[in-house]
Amino acid sequence: MSEKPHPPSDEHGHGHEAHGHHGSVFIQHHYDDAQHQFDSGKLGIWLFLAQEVLFFSALFVAYILYRHHHPEIYSYAHKYLDVKYGAINTAVLIFSSLTAAWAVRAAQLRQQKLLIACLAATIGCALAFLGIKYIEYNHKVHEHILFGRYFDPCVSSGNRPLLTKNNKCAGHESSVVWNAGTARADAGCFPDYAIDQDVKRDGVQASCSVAETKVTVDKSGKVTSEVAGRAITEQCPEWRPSSQPQQKTTYPCWRPGYQPAVCKVGYSFTWLEGEAAKFAGPFLSEDECKKEQKKKAGEIKDGPAPTACTRSGSVGVIVEYGDHGTRPADLRIKAECKGPPPPPVVEDLFADKPQRIELGKPIATGAAKETKHDAHEREAAGPPPEHTNMFFTIYFAMTGLHGIHVLFGVFVFIWLLIRAIKGHFTPDYFGPVDFAALYWHIVDLIWIFLFPLLYLIH
Amino acid sequence: MATEEHHDDHHGIAHTASIKVLVGTGGTLLLLTIVTVLATKVDFGANINLAIAMFIAVVKATLVILFFMHLKYDKIFHTVVFLSAVLAASLFVGFTLMDSGQYQQTNIWNPDAPPRAPFGPRPISG
Repeated sequence: MSEKPHPPSDEHGHGHEAHGHHGSVFIQHHYDDAQHQFDSGKLGIWLFLAQEVLFFSALFVAYILYRHHHPEIYSYAHKYLDVKYGAINTAVLIFSSLTAAWAVRAAQLRQQKLLIACLAATIGCALAFLGIKYIEYNHKVHEHILFGRYFDPCVSSGNRPLLTKNNKCAGHESSVVWNAGTARADAGCFPDYAIDQDVKRDGVQASCSVAETKVTVDKSGKVTSEVAGRAITEQCPEWRPSSQPQQKTTYPCWRPGYQPAVCKVGYSFTWLEGEAAKFAGPFLSEDECKKEQKKKAGEIKDGPAPTACTRSGSVGVIVEYGDHGTRPADLRIKAECKGPPPPPVVEDLFADKPQRIELGKPIATGAAKETKHDAHEREAAGPPPEHTNMFFTIYFAMTGLHGIHVLFGVFVFIWLLIRAIKGHFTPDYFGPVDFAALYWHIVDLIWIFLFPLLYLIH
Repeated sequence: MATEEHHDDHHGIAHTASIKVLVGTGGTLLLLTIVTVLATKVDFGANINLAIAMFIAVVKATLVILFFMHLKYDKIFHTVVFLSAVLAASLFVGFTLMDSGQYQQTNIWNPDAPPRAPFGPRPISG
């Protein structure tokens, strides 16, 4: 029989001796023997694990339903997550699962030192997992990438600065004044479809990620802007496929593809001298925009008249930057869209088709088409689609609940470690190690599903 | 005690996993993690990519259950318990999904003033 440890327990002697059992002192008297106790415990932990599967399945239902109905949210929002951290955490958990399983083996074979080492390694991995989770959560808190109404990100998932409604992103402030009556922004830089704008409420709700900007227009119509934020650039990438060269334009932008004062792609944007009549705004609706364009068409000499409006409004949009007292009066500016240069005459109708190479003949290439990758890049640069907060609600619920399980695991394994050091575990009494390891494997197993579902969305 | 003799055999009161099995399982799991990360970088189409990721996850989960959790060597009843939980969970997911498609229509009470289109950019098609 196995060698007895000498626990200080007072249970010793009252019970198992009566059964004529000579194993571990931790075999309770109401069990026939070690086998009976182990099997009962094992059944118990398996029932618990079954319950855990059901418990988590509720969150998986939420995940699947939402993904089923709103795939665009997942394809946008998962880019906020760093695959690197997810993958490291997966590896850490798998390794800890290995050490947990090994701890069981060590306990079964009375390898005391190995048991202690394995338990300690498991605790270490669990803490490492929580540490990495902390880094991830911390970043999300900092950038307001949170659940529910706290989702108010300072950056797009493509890491572009975003307009946020609460003015809380460090160093970036400029307000939008919303007018519920006209359903427009009276001032500021928000188009009316902007994220999380409450169209039923008046007042300042959104802010640009523009810190301080000074735009001046001299008599000749030359525009200079000084930028103190991270947003406005002189080379505004009115978004183009990466295969096309960036066009140098002179309007400010912070959300490529979603500039409030954007012109239709191909149109150029010009600051006109501001007559300071109406301060900042309004954003034009599509109809108004078309009317405006028709009116303006006669005045624009160099280029054909614009024929279409973008959704974000185009011609005649007046934008105000910076709402601090430092803004001088001559900041009132007016912007206008100019018609695009006439399109190049396409001589070869098959220019964009694959061609046979012929010596001495230049190869005509067609217009670059937006690839899937380009489209994703463009989406990631823009603001989140509506209800993106739901992704993070689900994300935090799932990873948070999982994290709580990991934390609980840490306490359980510390308890096991103390008992292991005291020498409580013997080949006929290692149930606690086995059961805790089973629990730990389920935690690992859930992460095995969470990782691809949250981090690896294609 | 009738079962007392059990204690004297090598396996004691439960199956002992060999080091080969443990390390082999752990190694395979790590390998599959790398595979699943790399598979995301290749574009097979959203659904096939998802199917691949889920297939790998299921394989990994099966490895964990069979070897780390000893279910391969354990009582069949524990398998029954676990699989019933998985079955119940899949019924849960399945029935909810079947039902969820039923409430997506919008009733436009006033055709002259239909509700505004939702805010935000359009989803990427394809």
